[in-house]
Amino acid sequence: MNRTTTGGTSTAAPALGARAGVRPAGYAVVRAGRASFLVHRRAVAVAALLAVLLAVAVVLSLCIGETFTSPVQVVDVLLGRPSPDEFVVGTLRLPRLVVGLLAGTAFGVAGALVQTVARNPLASPDVIGVTHGAGAATVAAMSFGLVAHTTLPYVSVAGGLGAALLVYAFAWRGGMQASRFVLIGIGVSIALGSLTQLFLTKGDYLVAQQAKVWLTGSLNSRGYDQAAPLALVLLVAVPAALWAARAQRGASFDDDTAIALGIRLDRVRLGLALLGVVLASVATGATGPVDFVALLAPQIARRLTRTAQIPLLSSALTGALVVVVADLLARRLFSPVELPVGVLTAAVGAPYLMWLIARTRSRSGGSSS
Amino acid sequence: MSTPSRLTAQALTLAYEDRTVVDGLDLEIPDGQVTVIVGPNACGKSTLLRALGRLLKPRSGTVLLDGAELSGIPGRQVARTIGVLPQSPTPPDGITVADLVARGRQPHQKWWQQWSEADERAVAEALEHTNTADLADRPVDELSGGQRQRVWIAMALAQDTDLLLLDEPTTYLDIAHQVEVLDLVRRLNHGRGRTVVAVLHDLNQAARYADHLIAMKAGRIVAQGRPADVVTADLVREVFGLTSVVVPDPVTSSPLVVPGIPWQPKSAD
Repeated sequence: MNRTTTGGTSTAAPALGARAGVRPAGYAVVRAGRASFLVHRRAVAVAALLAVLLAVAVVLSLCIGETFTSPVQVVDVLLGRPSPDEFVVGTLRLPRLVVGLLAGTAFGVAGALVQTVARNPLASPDVIGVTHGAGAATVAAMSFGLVAHTTLPYVSVAGGLGAALLVYAFAWRGGMQASRFVLIGIGVSIALGSLTQLFLTKGDYLVAQQAKVWLTGSLNSRGYDQAAPLALVLLVAVPAALWAARAQRGASFDDDTAIALGIRLDRVRLGLALLGVVLASVATGATGPVDFVALLAPQIARRLTRTAQIPLLSSALTGALVVVVADLLARRLFSPVELPVGVLTAAVGAPYLMWLIARTRSRSGGSSS
Repeated sequence: MSTPSRLTAQALTLAYEDRTVVDGLDLEIPDGQVTVIVGPNACGKSTLLRALGRLLKPRSGTVLLDGAELSGIPGRQVARTIGVLPQSPTPPDGITVADLVARGRQPHQKWWQQWSEADERAVAEALEHTNTADLADRPVDELSGGQRQRVWIAMALAQDTDLLLLDEPTTYLDIAHQVEVLDLVRRLNHGRGRTVVAVLHDLNQAARYADHLIAMKAGRIVAQGRPADVVTADLVREVFGLTSVVVPDPVTSSPLVVPGIPWQPKSAD
């Protein structure tokens, strides 16, 4: 089967258009020796733009607070130079920002992966019960007096995985139908939400107060304790994401076509879903369920890149950008009162979710011409 | 039958949940020919094709590829030998034609070899063979049924396999596009001696295009062989329960099935 490809022409010229070969529209080819890569031009441009916007948002959110700090001083602090604003920027604002960045990234990637597996934009971890599972488990742990920062992330992951398994068990009927999956996910979310309420009313008053703030998804008083496990998981997830980006290509087909192409569909889907659920759960453990970021970010990213797959890198950047900007607004909009960031993302995300549901309805009901 | 066929089935039993569709079937697909499987609805012809293409696991019995059990060969390796076009494939949202056809290269690619010169050549050839090069940059969603079918065939072609299995490739197409697709199937077979297996609905088209015809009923093979030997009025009655007259096709002289007199009111005026 090994057709020798490069006879003597090992010139490896990345010179585009030297020989106008066939390639998928919008892609550039980079070849070096026997290696070759397809690069979606627009996706690269979008990712670069998002990275710039994110950098701006990061600096802004470090500048803006009860007192204004100039960007120059912010950069000084970031570079570790001595600065009078060391305490405000470095101790008060930076840890919170880091948690927001990491959680947003995790939510964005998680949404992209789960939506890819379900082949449905509605099926993001926050809609199908994963974040609510993580939430219920964490609140339960809190009301039983378990509040150590070192154990809570595990509890969240267990809760998220548990919820995902529950949805899977109910939705699986010898095959996975996306609409059934989403409806059961929404049902499980509601059930878990009620369970959480139960823990809140049964639990100690102080704990309940603490848990309630956590439940709306807030970055208030979040710091490196929450960031550490999240950073660790994201670090481990990077090589996995490289695999996932490739595996997504196969998972976006129907079952028969994917198997015909030699893709080990069960393994690919399980891997992608597991990675997505773990990321969403750990992020929820750190910030509480910041609703709708996992739903929105991949969809925004995909509309920007116009790729056939949901772009992972752009989803990650969009997720981080959404959380950082939403938190900045949540802090300052009704200052001195601070809103939880989850309230803001929900204000944008909920109408979008309704629009998505309305649109899928009319599409499946109407004639497909 | 001097050398054994590359693709064979032995004592094959296929079932969906508790409904047995094919029971203890033996089969040899002749190499380098166009084999067409026909039969009435729900006779198990598509199910059989799915099993030959590894899309369905046999309940019992085996499918053998080059003497090895199909289910024991790694998926990627199978995909480099057998290309399958399922009955109603769904493209990823918003994908363009060339991108879709390029996905056929998946079993030949590694993560660091995403677009080799062999990939480029195979995709260019596939587009050319199927007359879809002009459509290369168009989104698949915007194509007509006939164009879309050609694009899917192009994807299976880009896979560059010795065997090609097509599940009702002409369904939903008008007659001109049906002929176009079937001619394409013949060309693919002729070009490099590719073995083609297709499930078709239309018995007359099957008789025209097949080198080897397999007639199925209720999960069994009723008859197989050259269309001229196999297609008779008796067979049509046995397989489809239809009274007909079989005459030579005026163009190809292959057997042409003409069904009996249409229903008419008993007593005119």
